[in-house]
Amino acid sequence: MSATAPTARSRLSAPAWLRKLWLLLAESVVAILLALVVGGIGIAAFSGLLPNHSSFDLGLPIAAYGALWSGAVGSTNGITSTLVYSTPLILAGLGVGLGFKAGLFNIGGRGQFLMGTVGAMSVVTLIGSSTPGYITIPLALIVGAALGGFAGFIPGVLKATSGAHEVVTTIMLNYILVFTTYWAISGPLRLPNSPQPITVDVTTRNGALPIVLGRDGHIGILFALLAVPLVWFLLYRTTLGFELRTAGANSDAARYAGMKTRQLIVLAMTLAGALCGLAGATTLLGVVHQIAPGYDTTIGFDAITVALLGRSNPVGIMLSGLLLGGMRAGAQSMQISPGVPAELVDALQAIILLFLLVNVLRRWRARRAPGGSASASADSTEIAPAFGMVAK
Amino acid sequence: MTGRLRTGFALLAAAALVVSACSSSSSTPAPAALKIGVVTDVGTITDKNFNQYSYEGAKNAATTLGTTAEFVVPKDASDYTADIQGFVDKSYNVIVTVGFNLGDATIKAAKANPNIWFIAVDVAPCVDATGAPDSTFKCAGDASKLLPKLIGVTFEEDQAGYLAGIVAASVSKTGKIGQLGGINNNPAVVRYLQGFQLGALSYNPKINVQTAFFSTGDLGKAYGDPVYGKTFSTQFIQQQGVDVVFQVAGGTGNGTLDAACAANIVGIGVDVDEYLSYPSADKCIVTSAEKHLSSAVNQTIVAISKGTAAGGVSKFNAANDGIGYSPFHNTSITLPADVQGKLDAALAAMKAGTLKTCTDQCGTWTGQ
Repeated sequence: MSATAPTARSRLSAPAWLRKLWLLLAESVVAILLALVVGGIGIAAFSGLLPNHSSFDLGLPIAAYGALWSGAVGSTNGITSTLVYSTPLILAGLGVGLGFKAGLFNIGGRGQFLMGTVGAMSVVTLIGSSTPGYITIPLALIVGAALGGFAGFIPGVLKATSGAHEVVTTIMLNYILVFTTYWAISGPLRLPNSPQPITVDVTTRNGALPIVLGRDGHIGILFALLAVPLVWFLLYRTTLGFELRTAGANSDAARYAGMKTRQLIVLAMTLAGALCGLAGATTLLGVVHQIAPGYDTTIGFDAITVALLGRSNPVGIMLSGLLLGGMRAGAQSMQISPGVPAELVDALQAIILLFLLVNVLRRWRARRAPGGSASASADSTEIAPAFGMVAK
Repeated sequence: MTGRLRTGFALLAAAALVVSACSSSSSTPAPAALKIGVVTDVGTITDKNFNQYSYEGAKNAATTLGTTAEFVVPKDASDYTADIQGFVDKSYNVIVTVGFNLGDATIKAAKANPNIWFIAVDVAPCVDATGAPDSTFKCAGDASKLLPKLIGVTFEEDQAGYLAGIVAASVSKTGKIGQLGGINNNPAVVRYLQGFQLGALSYNPKINVQTAFFSTGDLGKAYGDPVYGKTFSTQFIQQQGVDVVFQVAGGTGNGTLDAACAANIVGIGVDVDEYLSYPSADKCIVTSAEKHLSSAVNQTIVAISKGTAAGGVSKFNAANDGIGYSPFHNTSITLPADVQGKLDAALAAMKAGTLKTCTDQCGTWTGQ
């Protein structure tokens, strides 16, 4: 399977390109469909216990998935909403996926996202309402990405200098950054004269991202869609990307080949953090606009699912980000009309992840078995760290 | 790739989904006059707290009116606006939002959709001159005129506090009881405390009621910090030597109830039946000063359907079953025999409007 190997050919005819995508995503598609079936059985089994249902209802899974579908893509507002929900998932998913490619398992998305939020909010708070949006917004996004990058830089440096495992350091850093965010909101970023700890509303400071699509489709959607080819180009068309992927596949070999693996680790974590930070900044400027203590996100963890589901390939990540974003957008309709709790979406996400990991398990065993395929395919090495964490 | 078998299975599953999706339709009931949607706060719909009881009220109203009430539980605070908008898009005409946190999102939605009734539970809408939410709480605009279809459901907390005060005085052995408020400039908190003090004095004119506030300016410390709440309350209980403590401080107040348990004294909950909603402290909770959220939401929706509702703040009290005290679940705390009679008499007098349950400066804290 040479689909994602560094030597992949650049020119492919359309059917071959599709075939390549299928090879890349087949397991993900199977995992999704299996998750839908298991989720459907779950909904039917518990249908009698739901607040708005009194009896066992075998048709409920169909009604739930129907509402999920129509809520996500059934109307212009639904599609816009899917894109809005997908934006941070794609950006943070690219961040986590980039880490996977370099052999790093970044669990710090939550903290990096929040640092992006704090960075963008700081710019908007400090800059004053007379500054035009075309200065405020780019500055806020850059500072947000930079602060997110810094949050990734720390575990990167720790790993490069002392070998501290990034899974441990990013998880622990998450706590520190969550509370740093609380402190920032109730301290330096707090709106003066307000009895409640709350920040300024970015819409009053020319800080809101312009709406380019429908009712609430902010321009951040375009950033996410633009980031996909950029990250792809970085990974597959630059020397740096080649080095990152080589270090991820086998860091000893990379070092032997003269690559500076320590610097690569720091760089990969910083870039991953910057992408997660950008997710936080666009969510602040495009969706929430104003934050209070307690502001938190699950994007950091959802992004892990997105990256695994997309096989760490930027195009795959875009597709899986759109899928999970659509599920998020449709969850609301599903809650309203058939009355199925939105937690179903979380459950589906978890089941998808479970099925993906089960497949990884099988591959890993096949690889270790004597006489098994010796060629380490690129996409199994991506998930190897994930499996390693489960196994230990 | 060993996926041929799995691919086949996947295609089969997909086909099954498509076929059954097509066969399921036309099961939605005919549209009724009122479509009621509830957006709760983050958490669950079965929280035995604001979310659950507000939704119950909407559901009861829907049953009365022959329609249905649907709900959405936001995943996090960034979903408030989108979830309210979801009901707007599906042409719901009564949208109930639950709690202070959704206040701003509700006001914005009410401003953008002047033809939809919005019911903001436990929110006194504070708007600026344009009808937009005012984070600085100057409240320069008249919400009832600027947003005539926004109803802020509020409660006469002093009446609920009064009932809790009677219970507190009755279970106190030392004659020293305490009350802890979140913040001293929040009228709702102050009304609870003023009512509590008068209620306690009505049972025992010699009772000593000690008061303290968690904060004078920081809502985070006042309502959202149980760890701070426990530390502060433990100190308060030790220094003042009280043997009953009433908390009006949300999450911070849960720390007070924990402190009461740790000090082996009696705690009194607030807003909802905290014996049920905060089970980790149930062994020391005797009762709670309750807002009858379910009843208030139910009545407000019925009033809308009858055409008798008006925008602005809608007050609930004993006369319209808006407040009360929680049942005495906890059998390990013994109450004197006369307390039930006193509570019944006080409630009857409140309903008749003959009982003064608040000070002359109701809602303004003037010190002890």
